[in-house]
Amino acid sequence: MSDNKDTQATPDRELIESVWAEARDLIKRLEGSTVQRFAVAAGDYKIEIERGSPPVPFQGPGAPDAPPPPPAGPVATGAGPGLSIAPGARMASGVFTLGDMEQDNRVPVLAPLVGTFYSSAQPGAKAFVEVGSNVEPGQAVCIVEAMKMMNEVAAGEGGKVAEILVENGDWVEFEQVLMYLEPADD
Amino acid sequence: MFEKVLIANRGEIALRVARACRELGIKSVAIYSTADAESAVVRFADEAVHVGPHHPGKSYLHIPNVIGAAQKTGADAIHPGYGFLSEDPFFAEICSDNGITFIGPRPDVMEKVGDKAIARDLMQKAGLPLLPGTIEPVQTADEAQEIGDSIGYPVIIKAVAGGGGRGMNVVRRAEDMERLYKTTRSTAQAVFKDSAVYIERYLDAPRHTEVQLVCDNHGNGVYFFERDCSVQRRHQKLIEEAPSIHLSDDQRRDIGERAVAGALAVGYTGAGTMEFLLDHQGNLSFMEMNARIQVEHPVSEMVTSVDLIQEQIRVAAGEPLSISQSDVILRGHAIECRVNAEDPDRDFAPAAGRLDVYVPPGGPWTRVDSHCYPGWNIAPFYDSLIAKLIVWAPDRLQAIERMDRALSEFQIEGRGVKTTIPFHRRVLANEQFRSGDVTTDFVEHFLAGEQAGAARP
Repeated sequence: MSDNKDTQATPDRELIESVWAEARDLIKRLEGSTVQRFAVAAGDYKIEIERGSPPVPFQGPGAPDAPPPPPAGPVATGAGPGLSIAPGARMASGVFTLGDMEQDNRVPVLAPLVGTFYSSAQPGAKAFVEVGSNVEPGQAVCIVEAMKMMNEVAAGEGGKVAEILVENGDWVEFEQVLMYLEPADD
Repeated sequence: MFEKVLIANRGEIALRVARACRELGIKSVAIYSTADAESAVVRFADEAVHVGPHHPGKSYLHIPNVIGAAQKTGADAIHPGYGFLSEDPFFAEICSDNGITFIGPRPDVMEKVGDKAIARDLMQKAGLPLLPGTIEPVQTADEAQEIGDSIGYPVIIKAVAGGGGRGMNVVRRAEDMERLYKTTRSTAQAVFKDSAVYIERYLDAPRHTEVQLVCDNHGNGVYFFERDCSVQRRHQKLIEEAPSIHLSDDQRRDIGERAVAGALAVGYTGAGTMEFLLDHQGNLSFMEMNARIQVEHPVSEMVTSVDLIQEQIRVAAGEPLSISQSDVILRGHAIECRVNAEDPDRDFAPAAGRLDVYVPPGGPWTRVDSHCYPGWNIAPFYDSLIAKLIVWAPDRLQAIERMDRALSEFQIEGRGVKTTIPFHRRVLANEQFRSGDVTTDFVEHFLAGEQAGAARP
């Protein structure tokens, strides 16, 4: 994908570094898998990586005309069986899993719709959560406002807020990662 | 002029609109569902916003997310393309409530022309020819009988609220009128919760003829002549051409002028199409108006040298049309074939999948409007259009030869993928099609004839 999106914000070193760290981590973890192309994104920044072709398994004359193997984990898009996955943010989030690979155990909280992210119920009010807050499953962690409708976003599972990726008032897309939770040990 | 236009659509039309924006110096914003993350328009547009999962209801039809995407990117207008939200007056109103220009007619006008009964009434008052029949709903079986007898059979009884080919019955003999009147009413009540019906003359094998027009906010309207879209199967158009070879120059000018007068009379602005039926005596009758740009608009562009999408955007921005009627010169003949991911040998069943090979044709006067590329996945939950192949030539027979040549070059392959290309080539070789004597029942007879031919030893 040619990236000709506007990046009007001043470069955010921390964000770029976090995206790059995710990408490096993924490169390591995808060793030996069939994934050829992936992208990692956060905010306005995105890194796309394409690897060389994996070895093609030998198909003798008697080999059955089998469909390609199903992807090992939930593939983020309908873009083809396990080959290209986009947008990247979801893979970096740990939604994408490959077989028995060691996983980043952080759980992403995704935007349920397009709208404005608010960290608190009202301007000036205390934020729903901060980095380090413990949340219960189903607890409201932020609001995404669309067309004057306030939509509370609930944590799917309990845990500790590890990272918040968006700022109060930021516009977010569908399924953009808003924050990561570290599941509580049980 | 607009600074930035959001395109609330997908597939070839989204790319078509983005291309028009680029040429006009307008920034474009694509929206995409999860399944379309790698689509051509996402790559082409200046910006792209993910608006939902693959279900259209949760992405392309999800009004809060579409509006949100426009607000996020600061788009000042939304182009709805065709289908999806393009004829939704409610959406057009929400756009305007949020300070975003909807590229199309005003919501109240869209609502009026979208109601078949109101549209018929308005267009008759504006001087458009209608089939003999009633405009007001018919109240009793006796009245229905009287109307049928005076129009002459066959007639068709249609539910006022009907659509999609449902809620209508053809009456061929006077003695069937009472029974079919009652049946249609009760079906209409059951299906559409409205028993109102009207009656008009029924044409057995008409030609589908439609006039393209664009009106601006300054009281100007221009027609871009007509298209013949008679090659259709179950109301799905397969081949369209411009102009219709069945209209004389006088008729062409007359129906164009009336269509524009009708559109202006109801306050129509933007690009639109008036659909007519053409009978074998050369009479045109108004059917309905489509308040959007249509799939087959390129054939009109090819014979008039006007970019209709650019005109549509221009007039939505409040500018006057860049051309007047006398600038629109009809030249040559254009044909469009819709290349769909369907299997013509299996009753046009969807045959979608990943395109391993995609090599579009080229050469003189050959245009391909498509969002496809090698590796693109034709998803089963959206329409099956792979490409619109359009050719131009000085006359119809040369256009047919050019189209066949272009189709023969078109390579599309993939596991499970079948296309309508072989069907198109067989139609182009058919003597009746080549003669131009095509009516809306052509495909049905053509396919039946092929089957009968195949069954013979």
